[in-house]
Amino acid sequence: MVSVSLQDVSKSFGEVHAVDHLSARVPAGCIYGFLGPNGAGKTTTLRMIMDIIRPDAGRIEVLGQSSTSLPKARIGYMPEERGLYRKMRVAKALAYFGAIKGVSSGELTERVPRWLSRMGLTEWASRKVEELSRGMHQKLQFAVTVINDPDLLILDEPFSGLDPVNLDLLKEIVVQVRGEGKTVIFSTHVMHEAENLCDFILLIDKGRTVVDGTLDEIRARYHTRAAMVEFEGDPELVESLPAVRALTRQGRSWQIDLADGTDHQDLLRQLVGRVSVQGFEVKVPTLHEIFVHLVKGSDGQDR
Amino acid sequence: MGKIVKVAVREYVETARTKAFLIGVLMTPALIAVIVYVTGRYAGKPSGPQPAKHVVVADLSNDLSSEIKEAFRDYNASRSQRPIRLRELRPGGDANESYIKAQKQSVRDGGLDVLIVLDANVVEGAGKIHIYTRSARAGDVETLSALENLLNRAVANRRLKARGISPQLVAELRRRARVEHVSLAQGSQERRVDQGGRIIAMMVPFLFMFLMFMGVFGMGQHLLTSITEEKSSRVIEVLLSALSPFELMAGKIVGLGGIGLTVIGLWGVMAAAAARWRGVDITMAGEIAPYFAVYYVLGFLLFCSLLAGVGSVCTTPKEAQSLLLPVNLLAVLPMASWYHLVRNPNGLLAVVLSYIPPMTPMVMILRVGADGGVHPLEIAASIVLLAASVVGAMWAAAKVFRVGILMYGKRPGLGEMLRWVRQK
Repeated sequence: MVSVSLQDVSKSFGEVHAVDHLSARVPAGCIYGFLGPNGAGKTTTLRMIMDIIRPDAGRIEVLGQSSTSLPKARIGYMPEERGLYRKMRVAKALAYFGAIKGVSSGELTERVPRWLSRMGLTEWASRKVEELSRGMHQKLQFAVTVINDPDLLILDEPFSGLDPVNLDLLKEIVVQVRGEGKTVIFSTHVMHEAENLCDFILLIDKGRTVVDGTLDEIRARYHTRAAMVEFEGDPELVESLPAVRALTRQGRSWQIDLADGTDHQDLLRQLVGRVSVQGFEVKVPTLHEIFVHLVKGSDGQDR
Repeated sequence: MGKIVKVAVREYVETARTKAFLIGVLMTPALIAVIVYVTGRYAGKPSGPQPAKHVVVADLSNDLSSEIKEAFRDYNASRSQRPIRLRELRPGGDANESYIKAQKQSVRDGGLDVLIVLDANVVEGAGKIHIYTRSARAGDVETLSALENLLNRAVANRRLKARGISPQLVAELRRRARVEHVSLAQGSQERRVDQGGRIIAMMVPFLFMFLMFMGVFGMGQHLLTSITEEKSSRVIEVLLSALSPFELMAGKIVGLGGIGLTVIGLWGVMAAAAARWRGVDITMAGEIAPYFAVYYVLGFLLFCSLLAGVGSVCTTPKEAQSLLLPVNLLAVLPMASWYHLVRNPNGLLAVVLSYIPPMTPMVMILRVGADGGVHPLEIAASIVLLAASVVGAMWAAAKVFRVGILMYGKRPGLGEMLRWVRQK
């Protein structure tokens, strides 16, 4: 089942092509990472999914319906620019947003205290929103997003500006939401967040897809032919082995790039007996490396 | 629909809590009450004894000495609080050019308050009464008009005496008969109308228009503040993830319309209570009230649609104000010309302004209040036109609102906004 699908969607602001013929399918029940550098078109795409702005061309379907008749009550959206009514009391503000998202007042009397307690804001319930610290404000914003128990969560840069404790709290909730069979889409430009959480990844730059798929697929595709090896022995000897193209020191271990026509097994065979191998790891590229590699690559072509 | 109500309720409650609202509701009538009380208390009464004004008269006609002295004596006998002292009276022969020049200098120096020169042919011909003072100040007006009257009486008395008529006899003959004005209300009721009643009959339509103005514009300010605040605090995007732009806009307008009706209702009750306490007849106000309700609601919707459209593209209320200047000027026009309109409720200006939508509610309520005989067809036509313009304005505003509300930074021009309206 597909939760959100984008077909050939474009949006321009004046001369700027914010989103350029973008297509994507978000399967239901997964955590979907929306990655890209600043200004890649992430926020614009999420806003179009939410029907806050409309695409110039293309089709968007959300939870099986066209985005212009969006079932807003089933969606929780947290915009990148956080904002709540500053003069309202914390509990009241949460209840109000629940109400306009179609939660009945009976439900709210139970949900509001539950979420406030979960976010550690119970003591602040009758304070004004403007009295909250930045981190607390962000947690309240998150509670506002999930107060309607949405089937689809759309979070724009949800983890920016959080301390590690609160970061873990939100991640835990995101994972739990997926466990309930719901879909989470979030955007970020911090790669290791995506790496830890996401089932699927869409990497965009300048409004266009750079790469998409599951994390394993992407890693396999951008597999670097290298190994991280820890050994005792003569580095020059190692460098002269036929399977070794280059040798670079990285802390206590060495990164060995493989020569053409060889694989990790050849390298391991050639090492054994010549040096004392303490550790051997097939080097898996991090998203960060893939991201930098791909985005820089496209920059190089364009400029 | 349910969401519009929820937005409206929040808007109503949160606005009613602000200090600006409480001050507006309570302070405005309090201020008006104080002004009315103070002016009523002291109007027509001298504000205590004033220092004497010193006057020199140069009578070039050489014929008015006794009349002038008499007039000054009469004046000072009846107004001991504001004496005018006749320092010197020079008959023609002694008042030569150098004397007048010296006295003028004395006025300039402040040693003398007023110098009066009567032309030689002031009694028989077209001679003038020349009054010289240092400057023209508001505080001098009363003294000067008293002097004018007093000297004119002296001249007139002199003319009467020349024909052998007694001034006392003329005064006796010119005594005015007293007037009584009675308004015939329904049934056999008769009610005396005094001077105050006529002023009230003139003021009530104005007060209704003023209420309309405050109700529409005062609330408009709240709407602008509310929209630009949501925009600058970025809460707007969260709201739009739950509501359609139209639901948001409609909810706000309805909520603030409720606030407006509450304020006007409170003011109306206060005014009615005050009128009853002072024994003022307010049956007319009761007759106008239903018209007021209709015109207010339509006028409010029209104005707020414009505000919502314009407010959505701005990030501060101040910015919005400058964009709204033309609309505001339109609304001030009936306020500025109310006196003319209230005296000519069926005149050309009144009729023309009635059909220019932003002004319709204010002008029509003024006309209905000023003249019971405005044709029902005209009332119906103005309401239909107003309602149609409300629908048009809301439709256009919703389109502009939809695009404008998420725009930050550069403000779009009027042409750009019109393009949004034409889209789809």
